[in-house]
Amino acid sequence: MIQQIKSWLEDATVDIFIGYRDVDGHAVPHGYTADRLEELGNWTVGTHRYPLETFALHLARIHPEATIGLLGRDCNQRALNVLSVWNQLHADRIRVLSLSCCPSALKTRADCSYLVPRKSGSFKHQVGVDAEMEAAELEALPSGERWARWAYEFQKCIKCYGCRDICPVCFCAECSLESDELVGTGKLPPEVPIFHLVRATHMAGRCVDCGLCEEACPADIPLRLLYRKVNAIVEDLFGYQTGSDTAQPPLSVLGDRVELEPLPMEKTG
Amino acid sequence: MTVKRVRFIQELLRFVGLEGRVHLEWISSAEAGKFVQVVTEFTETIRRLGPNPIQRTVRPFKASGPRRLGTSSAPSEAETDAESSEEPAAASHL
Repeated sequence: MIQQIKSWLEDATVDIFIGYRDVDGHAVPHGYTADRLEELGNWTVGTHRYPLETFALHLARIHPEATIGLLGRDCNQRALNVLSVWNQLHADRIRVLSLSCCPSALKTRADCSYLVPRKSGSFKHQVGVDAEMEAAELEALPSGERWARWAYEFQKCIKCYGCRDICPVCFCAECSLESDELVGTGKLPPEVPIFHLVRATHMAGRCVDCGLCEEACPADIPLRLLYRKVNAIVEDLFGYQTGSDTAQPPLSVLGDRVELEPLPMEKTG
Repeated sequence: MTVKRVRFIQELLRFVGLEGRVHLEWISSAEAGKFVQVVTEFTETIRRLGPNPIQRTVRPFKASGPRRLGTSSAPSEAETDAESSEEPAAASHL
């Protein structure tokens, strides 16, 4: 792997390669360049994850001509696809060196911080939404209980914006979560459920299911489950597969035909 | 675009348990009768659903107080849960 990066840097296939560097036993994202090849001595790879494509995006905004190499897992690859669909990155200016990540029978080794299942306590199981839950399990519950469980989760939010800041596909210069009309800035706690549902809505056709938001969340809100459902809705309604589709996502294009019908009013009587 | 967004929001709200409160209907300015009928029906639907559960479930924020700390908040969570378990009676027969 190091040899490959070295040759990419030497023959100028890439101007900079974003990977990880070992700093006192911690893996820190680092950009390797041809004039400092000796830094590759501190190269490291492991289960730790950062949204490297976000760094690539920032670099590309400052140096649009640069070719950027980066270490990519499957989720990074999906994020790069989404960024290129949204016209944020030019796919031909990005070179990816694949890293074994999502486990399968074919791989003896997989590197991802998400591989260890998270365990929740019994209280969360009782009143909240467990991150290991499937959307279908939750949907089987009566709607009042579903809401109570989500309300429990959302109310733990400390509005740290960690989910947005870590998100590899959150590239907007102006964020709805900072709009006073929508969420109200500088106020705690965040408005439940507006804050979370606004973010969920914006993840439709965008979320690459990398799970970084859920890992970053200090309040342990099962965000991945919520966004996974949001993408499942997009797939069911519009047949759009986020991360692999190369077309614009359905909620950002008008389309030339109306294919959906409005739902009839729900009878509650 | 409208129907796409509304269908999406309806599905999302269903997932978090707040369904039935969004409705989309196309009514021309010449269809006064349809307008009255739709609005009346939807008002009835909303009345049957009852008040917005968000205000009931979401606790008002208090700057201090031991109930917000760690395990001492457990009883209030249990209340919230028990309270909402009555709700299916009002909302599940959609």
